[in-house]
Parts: sequence; C-alpha cells; structure tokens
Amino acid sequence: MSLIRQIWLLLLGTLLLAFAGSVAIVVTSARDTLQTQLRLKNSDNAGSLAMVLSQQKGDRELMTLLAGAQFDTGYYRRVRLTAANGTVLFQREADVRPLHAPGWFVATLPIDLEPGVAQVSDGWRALGSVEVLSQTAFAHDELWRGSQRSAGALAIVGVLAGLLGTLVVMRLRRPLDRTVQQAQMLERGEYLQVEEPRVPELRRVTRAMNSMVAQLKLVFEAQAVQVETLRRQASQDALTGLSNRTHLMAQLGGLLSAEDGAAACGLVLLRVERLGDVNRTLGHAATDRLLVAIAQTLQTYAQHVPGCMIGRVNGSDFALCLPVGGVALETGQALSELLRAVLPSFGGPIVVAVGAAEARRGVSLGALVAAADMALARAESGGGEVAVEIAVESPAVSFNGGADDAFKESAPAHFGEASWREHMHEALVQGRVRLASFPVVDTAGTLLHLECPLRVQLDPNGAFEVAAHWLPLAVRSRLTAAADEAALALALEATERDGMPRCVNLSPASLLDSGFASRLRGRLMVASQAALKLSLEVNETAAFEQFDLVQELGRQLRPTGARFGLEHAGEQLGRIDRLFEASLDYVKLDAAVAHGVACHPERAAFVTGMVAMLHGLAIQVMAEGVANEADALALWACGVDGLTGPWISAQHAAAARRAG
Amino acid sequence: MERATIWIALALLAAFVPLAQAWQSDQLMRAAQSRSPQALAGARALNAMIVSLDAAEDAAKITAVNQFFNHRITYAEDSDVWGQIDYWASPLELLEKGRGDCEDYVIAKYFSLVALGMPTARLRLVYVRAHLAGPRGAVLAHMVLAYYETAGAEPLILDNLVGEVKPASARGDLEPVFSFNSDGLWQGTGAQSAGDPVARLSKWRDVLAKARAEGFTR
Repeated sequence: MSLIRQIWLLLLGTLLLAFAGSVAIVVTSARDTLQTQLRLKNSDNAGSLAMVLSQQKGDRELMTLLAGAQFDTGYYRRVRLTAANGTVLFQREADVRPLHAPGWFVATLPIDLEPGVAQVSDGWRALGSVEVLSQTAFAHDELWRGSQRSAGALAIVGVLAGLLGTLVVMRLRRPLDRTVQQAQMLERGEYLQVEEPRVPELRRVTRAMNSMVAQLKLVFEAQAVQVETLRRQASQDALTGLSNRTHLMAQLGGLLSAEDGAAACGLVLLRVERLGDVNRTLGHAATDRLLVAIAQTLQTYAQHVPGCMIGRVNGSDFALCLPVGGVALETGQALSELLRAVLPSFGGPIVVAVGAAEARRGVSLGALVAAADMALARAESGGGEVAVEIAVESPAVSFNGGADDAFKESAPAHFGEASWREHMHEALVQGRVRLASFPVVDTAGTLLHLECPLRVQLDPNGAFEVAAHWLPLAVRSRLTAAADEAALALALEATERDGMPRCVNLSPASLLDSGFASRLRGRLMVASQAALKLSLEVNETAAFEQFDLVQELGRQLRPTGARFGLEHAGEQLGRIDRLFEASLDYVKLDAAVAHGVACHPERAAFVTGMVAMLHGLAIQVMAEGVANEADALALWACGVDGLTGPWISAQHAAAARRAG
Repeated sequence: MERATIWIALALLAAFVPLAQAWQSDQLMRAAQSRSPQALAGARALNAMIVSLDAAEDAAKITAVNQFFNHRITYAEDSDVWGQIDYWASPLELLEKGRGDCEDYVIAKYFSLVALGMPTARLRLVYVRAHLAGPRGAVLAHMVLAYYETAGAEPLILDNLVGEVKPASARGDLEPVFSFNSDGLWQGTGAQSAGDPVARLSKWRDVLAKARAEGFTR
C-alpha cells in the first residue's frame, strides 16, 4: 500500500480510537459518579426516614402515612417498610422510564444501586427496618445528554485534529512526489538536479540522487571531452584545424544526395602552386604559417555564409563547399580578393589557383569534384601571384530515381518569392503532400522504424518535391510548422492503418513557433495508440543553438509515448553541455560521420566513443547515409543500434522481394 | 504431582468455606501485633474469651462480653484519649488505649458479639437520653447496646454505666431515641475495598470498615 495511504489510515485510525476511547471514558466516569451519589442518597434518606418513623410511637397508620408522604414528594423508586418478623408493612414502587435516553443506552450503562437500609424502633421495641431506593431515570437522562454533548465536542476536536493532520500529510506529500519524480526522471535518463526538500529523510534521498547526477555530469563531461578529441582526430586536419578530405567529401556527398540536403551546391578549390618550392624558399615554419593564414581567411569568409563548409583536402589544396547554387563565381572572386590582401606579407612568389564548380542536386559527388578540378587546372595554367581562374562548370543534370520511382525529382519551376509562398500554402491546405519512407534497421535486419520525409507538390501538375527544394523557402515564409504538422498527421494516419512504426522530422524553425509543441502534443494525445509507434526528430543544430526549446519539446512529448531524438548529429554533440538533461530517446549520426568508418580507424574510434557516451545516457544510436556493406559492418562493430541509408534501403527491398 | 494437586484443591476449598463456621483469630492477631504490645495483650485476652464462649448460650455470651469490656476499659472523653471532639474507636483501638467513651464500649461489645456468632438482627446500638439523678436531674447523651432475643421482644441492655445486664424495663433511667445496626450495610460495604471513598463517609461506616479490617466478621 502506498506510503501516503498508510499515513492516512493511521491518522484516521488514531482519531477514531481516541474519539471512541474518550467518549467511553467520559461516559463511564460520569455514570460512576452518579452511581456513588445515588448510593449515598439512598443511605442518607433511609436514615432520615427511619428517624422520623421512630418518633411515631409505633403508630402503624402514621408510619405508613409518613412513608407514603416521603415517597410521593420525593424522587424514589421504592420505599419499603418491613416488620421485625419480615412481613412487609408498606411498599410503594414507581418505575419511571428515562425521558430521552434510548433503551440501548440504558441497557449498556446500567446504574446499580444498593438500597439504603435503616432500623425503625419505638422506644426499646424494634419495629423493623425501612428500605429506600432512589429513582435513576433522571440519572440516565443526564448521562445521555452529557454523552451527546461530550461526543459532539470530541467529534469537533477530532475533525480539527483530522484537518491538521491532513494539512501535514499534504505538506509531506509534495516533497515526496517531487523526490519520486526525480527518481523517475533518472530512470528515463533525464539527469536533473532538484532543490532539496525540507523533510530530513527526503532531503537525504534527494541529496544522494543529486550527487549521483553530479557524478554522472562529471563522467559525461569527461566523455564529451574525449569524444571531442576523437572527433578532431577523425575529421580535422592537424595543422589548420579545418575538416580533412574524407570528412569534407563526406559532407559534400551528403549535401548532394540527402533528401533535406541542398537543391544545388557549389565547390571552390584553392591550390598553393608548387608548395615544395615554397617550402624550400620560405622554410617549413613560414610555409605552415602561410597555410594557416589561408585557412583563417577561409574561416573568416565561411562565418559570413551560413551552412558553408571548408576543409583542407590535401597538403596544398583547400576546398569550400557552398550549400546554394549560383554563388560559386562570386565566392571564388571574393576569396581571391582576400587572399591578394593576405599573401604578399609572406614574401616570395606564392601563387594560389582558385577554381569553382556548381551542380544541381542529384549530380554525383565525383562529377562535381571533377568539374572543380578542371576549373582549377585551367586556373593553374595562368600565372601571377594569385591566379584566379573562375570556371563554373555545371555538370549535366541527371535524374536520380531513388527508392521509389513515383517520386521523380525535378528542378522546381521558377516561381517568384511571393507566388512560391502561395503555392506552398495552397499545397499544404489542399493536402498535396506525401510521405516517402526509408527503412531504419537493427543488427538482425528487423525494421526499427520508417523514416518519412515530407514531399510537397508545389505545382499542381508537377512532381512531389523533396525537402531540399521546399524547405529553405518554407523557412523564409514561416510555413515549416504547418508542414511539420501535416507530416505528423500523415504519419499518424498511415501508422493507424498499417501499424508500422514511423519517424517524422521537425525543422528547427518550427520550434520558434510558441504553440508548436502543444499542437503536436495535442495531435499525439488524440491518436494515442499510433503515437506509441511514432518518433519525432530534430536537427542537431537546434539542440546546440536552442537547447531550451528542444528540452521543452522533449518534455511535452514525453507523456504521449512518442519517441524523441536528434538527426544529422555528430559535429556538435560533444559540445552540447546539457545533453543529459534533454529527454532524448535516440540520436542519428550524420552521414558525414558514418561515412568512411571502414577505411579510417580514427573515424571508427570517434563513432565508438560517441556510441559509448550516448549509451551511458541511455540514448540509442543510429547512423544515417550508410552507402556500402563495409561501412555497415564497421558501424555494427562500433556498437550502433540501427542503420539507415541507400545500401540499407536496397537490402531491405531485396529482402522484401524475396519474402514476398 | 497428583498429591500436590489434591493439597492445593483442599487449600482452595478451605479458603472458600464460610467463616461463619469458626472464629478465625489470625487476622485479629496480625492487626494487633502491628499496633502495639498493649493491643496484642488485649487481643489475646479477647481471643481467649471468644474461643471459650464459642459454643455458649446467648445469655452467657452477652454477660461475658459486657463484663469483659466494663472491667478492662476505663471511662474517658474522646478529647482526652484521642485529642478529637468525637472519635469512634474500633475494638482494637479501644483495647490498645484501655480508655474510651460510651460509643467505644458499645462498638467493642457489638463487634465482639458478632465475632461470637450472634446474628446482627438481634443487636442494636441505641442512642439514649440517660437521666443520671432521677427524672428531673441531669440528662446525658448516651449510647447502649440492646439485645433482642426475638424480633419484638423486650431487649436486654449492655451498658457501661451499670455493671450488670438488665432488661429495658429495669432501666427506667434510659430513654431511647434512635437505634441502628449494621444490617443492610454489610452488603453495602461487602464488595468495597478500603480505598473506596464511600466506605468511610460516616463515622459508623468508618468504624465498620476498621472492624472488618481487624477481622471482626463472621
């Protein structure tokens, strides 16, 4: 039985016992007092009557008259005159029922009376004895009234005591509930410290849990530091701190192929000509400084362009990836201007060649890199300090069928901004939206859930566009919340139909809408059965930049039974310092992090470290964008719980065909 | 084991045998011993008398008891003996002091006769007016013990003013006012312990309780 209920029962039991006991004691002592009084009265009255009768000189009639008079004017139950030989000379009796006291009361509390006895004589002659018994009916009435009064008073006292007890119990309940809540949060993997309650026993428990959380924080922080180190080792160039080739290429590949990647990408390559000669001329230290200076220039530039990725792809080459199309030429020119300002300070003939290329989504990574290389080669064949040959190549646009041929991608028609917004709004209103589905599987190949990105038919006659096309402009038009809700509605509907677990992504911009979390929660509460099979995820950047909103969303979703996680994670995960306070169920590592794990042990070490850290916080780990079997096996070896990506989709489809 | 059980059973039976069968002197002796050597001496004498008279006739009993106390006790006021205006002494208290007033004589004689097996219905303590020097002389408030052989008979008077036991008709100097005894009161006080406040509320009840404690019961 719960502790609070036990306390209630104890309180109630004690009060009842006290009440019953008090009433019983009060009533019995009152009865005893009355009994004693009446006995004395009997005795005294008998004595007085005997004295009076003894003065009558044995006149029997007179004695009878006197006794009768005493009986009539007094309050007696019985008056009896007995002769010396035992005969009854005179007896009067009256049995009066109590007026108010009920029969059961009289029966429970009898008043025993001994009659008073005294001797009657006439001179020397012993006449006999007189026996007097007082009336007890009034006594019972008094007793009854007194019992009622004391019962009433004690009941009031009892009720007050009960109220007081209730207040105390309620005051006790709150800290108890909070302590239990903290324990439950710990169980779920939310490591929060709470204020210590004032109750000493609970304070000790809370203190212990708080110190445990503090310990976990320390452990997590140490692990996070370690994971950060591993990340740098895996993805960064030691000298400049920029991304290394593998990492940058993985990022670029992701941009080109992911559903929510970029509609078009630009790639700018920079090469320091004849680096070996520069090294000999300037010396090793100066060359390193030069490379660092170039890196810093790139970093400064990249800060102004959101989503821009930079890296050092080999000893002499740097690269800059742009997540939008049409700006490669300008970027190249801007960079060359900046470099022209920086390079002369190093002295000596330093030539940097800059080449740029662009491609639309769907073009392979190799094609884009090749185009950028060609542009760079053309630039190199020129001369001068900083040779900038900007050649923008656009490889032929090719269609990527994807897993489902029904969803053909195309370049969105060129609408103006305002009319684009209108099209998007109408599409949402008219429900011209669909969900794609990509499987996420576990080690055994069982389906964990289906990732369902939203596709919107902007042009009523056109295709259903991927997020890469509609998302950036939805963000500008502030329609992301509506789109996410539409996606959730479709997912709930589909899950209710076929019972498959599904996953829906939410964009960080939707979190800024204040009613968003509660609207989601509302929808999930309505479809409570389907909600249990649903997962919702948000980009890792949202957790890094708007941690409180993400935490709040997690808390809102918790009671619905839906799972909550992060996607495209890995870059900043180690730097989110309150990760353990967010109620996350899972984290999906970005394709850029998962790529190349098979061939590069540092990348594998990084993934293993991440998995260990996240498992310590009871968070599941999955990896996105798995493109080949080698990576898949390596990732399983790192300990991830689930995989998704092109290779996984292909395997899953093949298995389905075999089964079907 | 069986013999022990039998002895225990017999002992318990003996305890429940009504005391009216024989005079038990142990309680008296114990009470006397705890008081003083004089009380013990007096108690021994009283006990001897009771034992010797146990089977005698009523007449012999009343004569002996009357004489016993009249000879042993000298008359003195309560204020001299006890330092109080009015004090009803129990039989042992009287024997210890050796002095007492009229009520004390009567009380001691009454309880001794009860101890001798006399039914209380035959005895009465009587408040009287005693005319000491003729009908128009001084009048004294006095108490005597009256013995009624049968219910309506003329009583015999045991008095400390007059040495012999005389019938009431021979005692014209006494004018009875009121009489009482312990009839009906023994039942009343029977179940009460010494700690019961009602037991000692009046002088008579107080003396009854004391006499009972001293063993003067049957």
